[in-house]
Amino acid sequence: MSQDNASEAVTAETQPTLEDLTKRLGVLERKIAREKKARNMAENQLEQYSLEIYETNLSLKRALESATQKQAELEYLGLSSSYVASELPLNVMVDKIVDLTGGFSSASHGFYIISDKGKAVGGKLKQMWSLAEGWQEGNPFEEDVLSVLPLGEATLLDTWTVQSIKERNITTDQPIQTIFYTNFTLGGERIGWMAFFCTEEAISEELLSVLETAREHLLNGTRRRLADMRILKRNVQLQDSLNNLEKARKQLIQSEKMASLGQLAAGVAHEINNPVGFIRSNMEVLKEYLTDIKSFHAELSQNVKENDTLTLSAFEEACKKSDLDYIEDDSTDILKSNIEGLDRVKDIVDNLKGFSHSGDEALVPMSLPDCVTGALKIVANSFKYEHTIDNQLSESCPRIIGNTGQLQQVFVNLFVNAAYAMEGGGELSISHTEENDRVILHVKDTGSGMDEKTVKQLFTPFFTTKPVGVGTGLGLSVSYAILEAHDAQVVVDSEVGVGTTFNINFPMSTATEDS
Amino acid sequence: MKGIVFVKFGEFIEELWGDEFWDELLEEADLPSGGIYTAVATYDDEELFTLIGLVVEKKNISSKDAQFAFGQWVFKELYSLAPGGAHDFKDVFEFLHAVQNFIHVEVKKLNPDALLPEFEFLSETANELTFNYQSPRKLCFFCEGIIRGLAEHTGQEVVVSQPECEHEGDQRCVIKVEKV
Repeated sequence: MSQDNASEAVTAETQPTLEDLTKRLGVLERKIAREKKARNMAENQLEQYSLEIYETNLSLKRALESATQKQAELEYLGLSSSYVASELPLNVMVDKIVDLTGGFSSASHGFYIISDKGKAVGGKLKQMWSLAEGWQEGNPFEEDVLSVLPLGEATLLDTWTVQSIKERNITTDQPIQTIFYTNFTLGGERIGWMAFFCTEEAISEELLSVLETAREHLLNGTRRRLADMRILKRNVQLQDSLNNLEKARKQLIQSEKMASLGQLAAGVAHEINNPVGFIRSNMEVLKEYLTDIKSFHAELSQNVKENDTLTLSAFEEACKKSDLDYIEDDSTDILKSNIEGLDRVKDIVDNLKGFSHSGDEALVPMSLPDCVTGALKIVANSFKYEHTIDNQLSESCPRIIGNTGQLQQVFVNLFVNAAYAMEGGGELSISHTEENDRVILHVKDTGSGMDEKTVKQLFTPFFTTKPVGVGTGLGLSVSYAILEAHDAQVVVDSEVGVGTTFNINFPMSTATEDS
Repeated sequence: MKGIVFVKFGEFIEELWGDEFWDELLEEADLPSGGIYTAVATYDDEELFTLIGLVVEKKNISSKDAQFAFGQWVFKELYSLAPGGAHDFKDVFEFLHAVQNFIHVEVKKLNPDALLPEFEFLSETANELTFNYQSPRKLCFFCEGIIRGLAEHTGQEVVVSQPECEHEGDQRCVIKVEKV
C-alpha cells in the first residue's frame, strides 16, 4: 500500500461523509428547532405564571381587605350585641351603641333624642357625640337635627333612613353631606332616635346592611328592657294581690269560725242554760232556807226575850221545827252544786273566748290533747246520749308544731261533721300514732260514711251535704287551708255505712323547739 | 405527567445512545407534542409509554429493564433539583418515609396538579422495608430503579424486589428493600 493510499484509507475512516454530515445537520436542526420551541413554550408559560401570580396577589389583597372589613363588622356587631344583652340601663346602652355605631361607620357626629307625642323631650338633646371626642357637652346642631328628624310623624321606622343635607351647609371641619337615622319605641308614645352626620355623599350598601343588623339587635334589647320593666311592674301588682289574698284568707278563716260558732250557738246556749237553770232553782231553795233561818232566828229571839235565857230543850225544839240540820247539809250541797255549775259556765265561756279569738298565726310547740279536749268542750252539745266519745289522747302524745286556736277550729269542724254523720248515734274515737318525726291524729266516727265522689269534693269551698242553713260549705276547705299552713297532710278513709276516719299528719316538735 | 420527566428521559437517552437516537425516536413516535418538552409543562402519560416502547423495540431490552435503568439514572438528577431540606437524609429507609411527608409536599407546592404515587408502609425491620406502591401509572419498575439510584447516593447496598406485582397478575405492587 502506498503512502497516499494509506492516508486515503485513514481519511475514509475518520472523515465523515457528506451524507453523514447532512444527516447530522438534520438531527441538529431538528434539535435546535425543538429547543427553540420549548424555550418559547417555557417563556409563554412563565408569562402565564406571572399573570396568574399578579391576579392571585390582587385577589388576595381584596380578600384581605374584605376579611379586615368583615372582622371590623363582626367586632362591631359583637360589641353591640354584648351591650344589648348586658344589664346596662336602657339610656346607658343607647349611649354606648351611638358611640360604637358612630365609630364603626366613621360618622362625624352622633345624636340620641327621645320624643314623646312628637316632641323632643329628652335623651341627650344638649349633648353630642363626635368621632374625635366621643360624647361631649353642648349640641350646636340640635336645631338642625330636630328639623330633619320626622319627630311629628311619630311612626316607627323599619330600617335606617339616609338623607342628603348638603343644602343646609352644616360645616364642622368638613362639610356635612348626609344624615342617617333610625328610631325605636320606648313604650307608649315615647320614641328613641339615633342620628349620625356623615361627611360622605353616600353610605355603602354593605355598611347599611351591617347597621341594619345592629339596629335589629338594638330593637330586641329595648324590647327586652321594656318587657323587663313591665314584668317588674306586674310583679309588684301580683305581690299586692297576693298580700290582699292573704288578708282575705285570714278574714275568711275568722268569718268561717264565727259562722260555725253561730251554728254551735244553740247547743252552747243549752250547755250554759242547763247550769244556769239549776243554779237558779237552787237559789230559790236557798231563798226559802234563808226564810226558814230568819224565822228560826226570830223564834230564838222571842224565847230569850220572854225567859231571859234559852234552854237547850227550847233551842233543840226550834232547830227541829226549822229542820236546821237538813238546811245546813242541803245548803252545803247546793252551794257546791252552784259553784260547779258556775265553773261549767265559765269553762264554756273561756273555751268560746279562746275559739273566737282571731289571735296570731305563729306556729309554736303545743299540746295536741289539750287542743282536742278544748274543741270537744265547745261541741259537747252536738253529741247526744246515744253518742260515745272515746278520747284516747293522753299526755304521752308528743307535742306538735302548730297554732292552738287554728287547730281547735279544725277539730271543731271535724267533730261537728262527725256528730252530723252519726245522727242515730255512734262512737267518735280520737287516737294518735307516731311515724318518724310526725304525729298522726286519727279522728274516727262510725257515721254514715261518704262515697268516693263526696270524698273528692270534701275540701272544695261551698261543697256541703248538709241542708241549707245548716252548713256554710266552707268548714273543711278552711280547715284544709289551715292544715296546709301547718305542713300537715290529710288522708281521708271513708266507707258508706261504716264510717269515716280523718288521718292528719302533724310535724312533731323537737326538744330544742320545746325549750 | 410533568415535563421534567420527559426532559430527563431525553437527556438519559442522549447520554446513553446519542442525540441522533433520541431524534430517531421522536421522528418515529410522531407525538402530539412533537417532542418539544419543557420542565414546566404537563404532557400526556402515553407519550412516555410510546417512547419507552420504541426503546424496548429498537434496543431489544425489556420494558422492566428500561424503566429500571431510567429510574436509577434519574434519581441524582431529580435529587439535585430538590429543595434544600431533601438533602438531609442519609438513609434509604428514612428517605422513603420522607417521600410522602416531605418530598411530595414540596412537589405539590410547585405543581399543585401533579399526580403522585402513594406509599403504604407494610412492615419494617432494621434491614428490611416493604411498602405498597400505589399509582394508576403502574410505574413500579421505575420506582425500583429510583430506589437503587437513592441507595447509590447514600452509599448503601440494597436489594430491591417485588414480592407482589400487578404486572405479574397480583392485586397490588409490594416493593421490598433489603439492606445487605
